[in-house]
This record gives sequence, structure tokens and C-alpha cells, in this order.
Amino acid sequence: MKNIFQLPWQVPFGEISFKVDPLSLLFLICIFILVACSGIYAAGYLQPYKGKKPLGAHIFFYCLLVLALVVIVTANNVILFLGAWETMSIAVYFLIIFDDEQASVRRAGFLYLAMAHCGTFLLFIMFFLLSHAAGSMNFDLISRVNLSPVLAGTVFILALFGFGVKAGFLPVHIWLPHAHPAAPAHVSALLSGVAIKIGIYGICRVLWMVGVFPDWCGYMLLMTGVVSGIMGVLYALGQHELKQLLAYHSIENIGIIALGLGVGLLGRSYALPLLATIGFAGGLLHVLNHSIFKGLLFLGAGSVIQKTHTGQLDQLGGLAKSMPITSALFLVGALAICGLPLFNGFISEFIIFFGLFQGLLTLPLAGMVACVLGILFLALMGALALACFTKVYGTVFLGKLRKELVLSIRREASPLMIAPMLVLAGLCIWIGFVPKYAVNLVILAGEYLSHVAASSINFSGILVSLSMVNNGFFIFLVLVLFLIFLRRHLLKKTPVLVISRLETWSCGFSQVTSRFQYTSSSFAHSILDFVKNILFLRRHGGRVKGDFPLPTQMHSLVRDAAEDFVFRPLFSRLAILSKKIDDGRIRYTQIYLMYIFLFLIFLLVWKMR
Amino acid sequence: MLIGIFLILIHWLFVFLLAPLFVGLVVKVKAFFAGKKGPSVFQPYFDLVKLSRKQCIYSQTTSWVFRAAPVVALASVFVVSLEIPLGILKAPLQFSGDILLLAYLLALSRFFMIASALDTGLSLEGAGASREAFFSCLSELALFMNFITLACLTQSISLSEMIGVNILIPWNLDPVLLLVVASFFIVLLAENCRIPVDDPDTHLELTMIHEVMILDHSGVDLAYMHYASAVKLFLFSGILVMILIIPFQTGNPVKDMLIFLTGMLGLAVLVGVIESSMARLRLNRVRNLLLIAFALAFFGFVITIWRG
Amino acid sequence: MTAWIDAGCIFIVFFALAILATYRIVGMIHIFALQSFVLGCVPFFLHAEALSARVIAIAIVTIVFKGILVPYILLWAIRHVSIRSEVKPFIGFGLSIILGSLLIAGAFWVSLSLQLPGKAVSNLVLPCSLSTVLLGFMIMVTRTRAVTQVLGYMIMENGIFLFALLLFDGMPTLIEMGILLDIFVAVFIMAIIINHINEEFERAPVAESRSETGESF
Repeated sequence: MKNIFQLPWQVPFGEISFKVDPLSLLFLICIFILVACSGIYAAGYLQPYKGKKPLGAHIFFYCLLVLALVVIVTANNVILFLGAWETMSIAVYFLIIFDDEQASVRRAGFLYLAMAHCGTFLLFIMFFLLSHAAGSMNFDLISRVNLSPVLAGTVFILALFGFGVKAGFLPVHIWLPHAHPAAPAHVSALLSGVAIKIGIYGICRVLWMVGVFPDWCGYMLLMTGVVSGIMGVLYALGQHELKQLLAYHSIENIGIIALGLGVGLLGRSYALPLLATIGFAGGLLHVLNHSIFKGLLFLGAGSVIQKTHTGQLDQLGGLAKSMPITSALFLVGALAICGLPLFNGFISEFIIFFGLFQGLLTLPLAGMVACVLGILFLALMGALALACFTKVYGTVFLGKLRKELVLSIRREASPLMIAPMLVLAGLCIWIGFVPKYAVNLVILAGEYLSHVAASSINFSGILVSLSMVNNGFFIFLVLVLFLIFLRRHLLKKTPVLVISRLETWSCGFSQVTSRFQYTSSSFAHSILDFVKNILFLRRHGGRVKGDFPLPTQMHSLVRDAAEDFVFRPLFSRLAILSKKIDDGRIRYTQIYLMYIFLFLIFLLVWKMR
Repeated sequence: MLIGIFLILIHWLFVFLLAPLFVGLVVKVKAFFAGKKGPSVFQPYFDLVKLSRKQCIYSQTTSWVFRAAPVVALASVFVVSLEIPLGILKAPLQFSGDILLLAYLLALSRFFMIASALDTGLSLEGAGASREAFFSCLSELALFMNFITLACLTQSISLSEMIGVNILIPWNLDPVLLLVVASFFIVLLAENCRIPVDDPDTHLELTMIHEVMILDHSGVDLAYMHYASAVKLFLFSGILVMILIIPFQTGNPVKDMLIFLTGMLGLAVLVGVIESSMARLRLNRVRNLLLIAFALAFFGFVITIWRG
Repeated sequence: MTAWIDAGCIFIVFFALAILATYRIVGMIHIFALQSFVLGCVPFFLHAEALSARVIAIAIVTIVFKGILVPYILLWAIRHVSIRSEVKPFIGFGLSIILGSLLIAGAFWVSLSLQLPGKAVSNLVLPCSLSTVLLGFMIMVTRTRAVTQVLGYMIMENGIFLFALLLFDGMPTLIEMGILLDIFVAVFIMAIIINHINEEFERAPVAESRSETGESF
């Protein structure tokens, strides 16, 4: 189902050509759901800022972002795509630096802008190569050309890194953990829910455009997914700040999506259409699901931070009692993101696992090994995500308030902020219980991506499994209701004591304070200790000496390896280098003249041959 | 549809009636080793009835999550029981990929138990929750490695086909299945909090993983929690026994059921023997034990691919 | 008989992996004795149809020497030197188990491309022997105590013996006797040297294996 809408355009090589195919349809649905919910949330979230900050500019860039996103997803032409891509990068930058009176926010925004442009540079090269090989800038025409394996491989690498910067694959993800805490809540939700997915859209579009990739591309995509996923969730476990933790979790889920896409690509390389479709379908369904539940989680985090004015996990606690609705909705998001049954995360992880097991049974040896690694790491990611989100939910909402904070007088968030969260949570539950529509949509998109004719493969295996899963969910719900009523019935018959609400039994301690609780770092300690060398975990302080020790403090830190060992040294070297050039006696005009001169020589040499 | 419901109810009745008996047997074996007569094997039933007649006391710190945890734990374990073939009872809910629903339903109950432990706002339960979160990562790894090996052996991803009668290789002292059984046994001990991973008897807070998470539950809630752990032990043992008795299938339903029940009895005795003869390992040794379980399953997998 | 040979090979690798995961040196020696016992039974299964006196002799000599004598000598060495019977590896037990599994996978992968002559009674003997050699090597490299390094060497020796069983159609007696004599002398010398070296080890600064207070288990 392709609809193409075309207009002429004066820009050379450019044409205004839009196309809505199953792939674009899926991403359009993601965009619209999240933009609507984020927008309504922002109406409530930005209330305190009225009159203090230029909200009009912020809203302008929000609308510009929406327009850019829609154009990117439906563009059928390289120039249009890249123009919209740049617009999106800039709009996101202005949205991120909403609180620009803080230096950290400005730095985070600048880091994002620099990384985004590095990625876009790679994209320019990639599109140049593609359109040169195809002789046209139209996506449809490019897709009909056969590329040599070397060229296809180069395009894949460029796409992986170029779109990977936006998507958040591991080595180039470093802007994510800074940008998310810096941006206001609705912008973080939009970033994590949609802007990152546009990177994935780019990769999918390239996967569609280039018909045949060499085998190693599938393995590389799968491995990137595995590495991003595991390191993302391990870094998330070591974080102390709520939004930074959620940002690293986005990296993990992008890893899961890449895992699904990698399985699909492997299926395509080995001519196994069922495997290809299931892999792509799983990855794409996780795209939709992740945008829904991550948006929900970020909106919830925004409500919490607005009420308590801090995002540090170790200063929160017990908010379930003062913010009951937000905490219930956050719980839905947390359960969904761990891939637990009854919610949509389980459906997409089920499809990806199904694809991996199919690959295990049908692929040759190298593919089998890759699938084994995929299954093991996906299971490990699920368990670690469970640890991470029990940590988050337990530390923020359960237990007691750890530090006496000044809570805003209005206890629960405003209805404008709760309503979109309710919609998103409802979608999580709906897709979990009635996955039929979402699954049909992603199967359509998966078939489209794997270049097979629509409805030519027999999906009865997985559809039957999904319907049985559904039956399982309903049985579970029935059981839960039955047990609740049974408990109520049994409790009615017991004699009622005078006291029924007490303080938690603490082995006789009478002065139980909130400091008795496990903090987030102590909860994650056992896991982090196991992998402390991978994570470069650093502990400062905390040594207790002597028989009557003095009060002491402990601070633990997880160092992001890519940031600290790759990019920081690189950027500082570049800064030193550019300073040297700057200090020289060459002036700017001369440098630009030199560039023009070099380009002229290049053109002459090229045309002379 | 009605037949389906009837099969489900029969399956549940079987599990419902026999699970506490299994726990009672384990306790009896431990008492025998200690030279005591021990409580009767039906004692867990009496305990459950006694608990269901008591009131639930809730702490001021807890929220509704605390009250939801026992219900979720018991419901998820009963849905899991529908996927496991026990003796001659076929699994009512079997499909390709039901192992994933199994693992993730157990993860759901684990989430709620950890959350309920953190909800009490005290360090004891927090310790248990933290350890449970860590050990579950490792035991999930070992469990999935077992599933991968069984999937490669039987070329299918449905539990009933993996451990049912259509297992592809002849069971002839085949060491690969022995490796899988050994690895799965270690996972059983870890997931059900038996020695050497956890001590289900002592109520010393520092030595427990599971017991300390349910420390604050009382009355009907505690009955639900105990029942859920008994059923979970029964189900894991059921899977193990089903793998072990494959070469002894005779085709006669009554005999097969008797063989299955004998196998369960033997496994209860074995668990009791291990609990009586070992001490609980230090917690960083438990981590290594689970890694050994993973290594065994991995070895079995390597041999499986080598052969086929 | 193939099943018994397969089972034997798998148990040999399993025991090597178990030694990698054991904490106490006495436990390691006992497992090594078990492994040599199983190794001694393998010739019985390999030559089940043509049981000659030579095969029986080889098997019994293996069991007696490597299953009883060598462990006894090593236990004697430990007792007389009174070393702390705790193993201190370089790389931690969790990581060594994972690395051991990867080495086993690597050995199987290498065996895929190795085509050896000799009768194919059981195709598990080659990769299992290679895994045992690699695991023994790993034990030698990653453990610091002298006794454990001797054990690693002995496990490598077991692996090579298993490999040779496959290749030679009934091992030439002379070679087998020569190897056994080498082993005997080597262990004897090692036992003497350990006696002195371990006293050095005792006085070396001991790194803390327990973490500081402030962190639980």
C-alpha cells in the first residue's frame, strides 16, 4: 500500500515527493501518539513557567519538530529527507535547552548538536554514495538498483554510525545521558520516544533501499544490538538520577530493537522469509511499544521531579502514598518495559525471542551461534531490566521518603499531566491484551522490509502462539480476581483486632527512620560488584575504621567508557588542535579561500580524468 | 471450550492437592536425617488452613503493591502450572514458545515480590530483594541455556514437546541429558530457595533470600505466599522428573502415572538429603554455583551441536 | 559401547571444569583422582571387542598411578608443608568458569576442521581431549599455588592420554610405559620442590581476599 504524492521543487535534484508505505505508517503512528500525549502533558507541565520564560518560542520549535518528523518519515527524496533531518536536529536542540540558564543544560544541548551533526555528516556521505550508484535521488529509484557487496557494506557501516548517533547505539550514544536530564519532561519523552526512533527509521529505510547486504551486516547489527542492550542496562543500574537512568534504559531498548532487526537481516541474507519477517516485525513492534512506555515513564518522571524538585533517587521515596495515580501509571510503564506479561513489552519480546529460536533451529552454524548469544543476552537484559526497574520503582515510590523534601502543596499532578499518561498506559494494556491489530501492522511492515510479497508466508505458528498467550493472560486475570475475592471473603470471617496498622516490625528497634531503607546504590550493589570491571565502577569513601567510627560518606560512580575513554580524549585533542590553528597567523578569510582553492583543484582533477 | 476448561480444572486440582505434600515430604526427610520423627507429611496443609483463618496485618509504610504481591505470585504460578505436562496429564496451555511465557510469568511474580519487600521500608527485606534480583539474573541465564539445549535436541520450542515423549534422541545414559538435568537441578535449588542457596527454615534475616522478602506478610497473604512457593517447587520438580522418566514410559496410563509419582517422591527425598547434608554457601559462592549451572548447560549445548 | 565412551569423555571434561571451580586444593586432588579413574576405564570401552592383556594392563596402570599414587603423593606434599589449602586464582572464579566454557566451545570448534585418521568409534573423544588439554593449561596459567599448577599439568597429561588412545590402535606399550615413568618422576620431583617452594609462598605478602568492612558478603 504505497501512496505517492509528488510536487516539483526548484532545488536541484530535489523533489517534494512523499510516500506512505507500511514502514512509514508504523512510525507515523508512533509520532502522532507521542506528540499528542507530550503536547497535552506540556500544557500542564509548563504552567509554572508562564510569564517567566518565552513559551511561544518553545511551542514554535515543538510544532516545527512535528512537521520535520512527519516529513522525514514520508520523504521519498534524498534532499527532502536531509533537509527535514537537519530541521529536526535543530528543533530538538532548541527544545532541549529550555532551561538554558543552567550551564549543564547548555553543555548538554551543545553536545547533542555536535554529535547530531557528526552523524549527519556520515549520512551525507552515505546518501551521496547511494545516489551516485543509482543515478537518482529518489528513494524508489535507488531501491531498484543492485549494489556491489563492497558498496553495500560501506553504506551499511555509514548508516549504522550515522543513524546510530541519533538512535543511540553504544559507542556513539554519549549525548543521550546528558540531554535527557537536561531537557524538560515532555521533551525527554519526545526525544526518547520518537527522535531516537527516527534513527531506527533511517536504518530501516536503508535496509529497505539496498536489496542485498553481505552476510556480515546481519551479524554486525545483531552484535551492536547485544552490546548496546547489555551495556545500556548495566549503566542504567549504576545511575543515581532518575532521568539519566531512563535515558540509559532507552539505549538498552534500542539494543533490543537492533537485535530484532539483526535477526530479520540475517533471515533475509540466508533467504529464510519467515525468519526475516518475524525478526523485522519484532523489532518494529518494539519500536512502537517502546515509544509508548518510555514516553509514559518520562512523563511520570517529570511529574515526580516537578513535585519534589530533585531527580536524585536516593532523596525520594514513598511517593506512592502522596501521588497514587502517577505511581500506578508509572508501575504500568515499569512492568511494560521489563517485558512482563499482560503488557505490550512482552508481546514484542516474545516475537523477537520466537525469531531468535527459529534462527537457532534453521540457520547455519555462525547464525546459530549468533542466535544463541542473542537469546542469552536478551534473557539477561530482561532480568537486569527487572532489577533496574524494581530499584527505580522501589526507591522512588515505595517505602518511606528518604530526605525531608518540600513537596508542592497540590499532592497529585494536574489532570492535564495525568490524562496523557492514562492514555499511554491504556495503550500498553490494550496492545498487551489485544495485540492483533499491532501485530498485523508490524507483520505487514516486516514483509515490506524483507522484500517478500504480502501475505505469502504462513504465520499461523506465531499467530496461534500469540492467541494462546492471550488466553494465558485472561486466565491470569480471572485467577487474580478470584484470589482477591477469596482473600476478602476469608478476612471477613476473622475476628478484627483493635490495631491493624502498625509500623513495620524491625526486630525490636524503636527508632526506625527512613535511613534504614536500602538506597538505590545498595540495591544495585550486588550486580554492579559482579561487573565492576566492565563498568569502571568507582567508589569513593565509605571505609569504616576503628571501633567507634565517625560519620562517613560514600559516593559511587559508573564511568561511561565510550564517553570517558574515547570521546573526551578525542574532543580535547581536537580542541587543542583547533586552538593551535586558531593561534596561528592564518586568518579566517584565508582559510576559506584555501578551502575554495582546494575544492577547485579537486573538481579540475576529477573532471580531467 | 468446555472440555478445555475441564482439563484446566483437572490440572489445577492435581497441582493444588499435591504441592504441599511435596514440601511435607522434604521436611520429613530432613527430620529423619536429624534423628527426629518430624511433623506429619500433611502438616503444610494444616499450616495453610491455619494461616487462612488469621488476619492480615499491614504496616503503615506499605501501599497497595504490598497487598497485590501474594495474589500475583499465586496467580502466576498457577498459570505456569498449566504449561507443564505432569505424568499423564497433558499441558492444557501448550504452544510454540510457551517456555517464554513460563519464564516471564515467574519474572512477574518476582517483580511484585521484590517491590513488596522494598515497600516495607526496612533494610532486612531490602537485602533479600537485592540478592533475589541478582541471583535471578544468573538463574535466568542458566534456565535459558537449558531451554536452548533442549530446543536444539528436540527441534521445537514448546515445553511439552521438549520434555514429553517425543524427545528425539534415545535415552540411553545420554550424558547430554544428564548435563541438562544437573544444570536444571541447580536452577531448581536456586529458584526455590533451597540449601545450598538459601535456607527455608531459619528465619534469621541475614541468611535468607526468599524468606526475608515475605517476612512482613501475615495471615491469608502469608498462606498465599507459602502456597505459591510450594507450587513452584512442585512444578520445577515436575519438569525435572518428566525429563528423567522418559526411558521408562510404558504406554499404560496407570503405570506411567505411578512412575511419575515415584519419581517425584525420589526427587523430594533427594532434595531433603541435599538440604540435610550441606550447609548454605556463602553468597559469592552461590554466584559461582549458578555460573557452574550455566557452564554445564553450555557444555551440553556444545555437544549437541557437535553431534547434529 | 559408544554411549559409554561418550559418557566417559564428557565426565572427564566435566571433572576438569569442576576442578576449575573448586576452592579447596584437597577437593581438587580428589576430583583429579576421579577423573583419572574414569580415564582408566575408557580403554576398556574403546577396545571392548578385542580385550587384550595389553589394554587391561594400560588401564590398570593408569588407574593405579594417576588415580591413586599421584593424588596420594600430592596429598602427602600438602600435609607436610601445611599450606593454606585455599586456591587463589588470578582472575576470579566466576570469570574462570565463563572462560573455561568458552575454551570448551573453542576446542569443539577447532575439532570441526580437524580430520584425523583412526577408527571413528566415538567422535566425542577428539574434542573432549582437546578441551581437557586447554582447561588444564588454563588451570596452570591462572592459579598461583604450586600444587595447583602441578594439577593443571596432570590434567593436560590426562587430555593428551585420551587423545593418544584415539590415535594409536592400542598404544604401543613402550611409549605408554615411558610416559608413565616420566609422570612418576616428574611428580616425585615436583613433590620435593613444592616442599621448598611453598615455604617461600607462605612468606609472600598475602593480598586480602575478604573485602573491607562496610560491605556485606
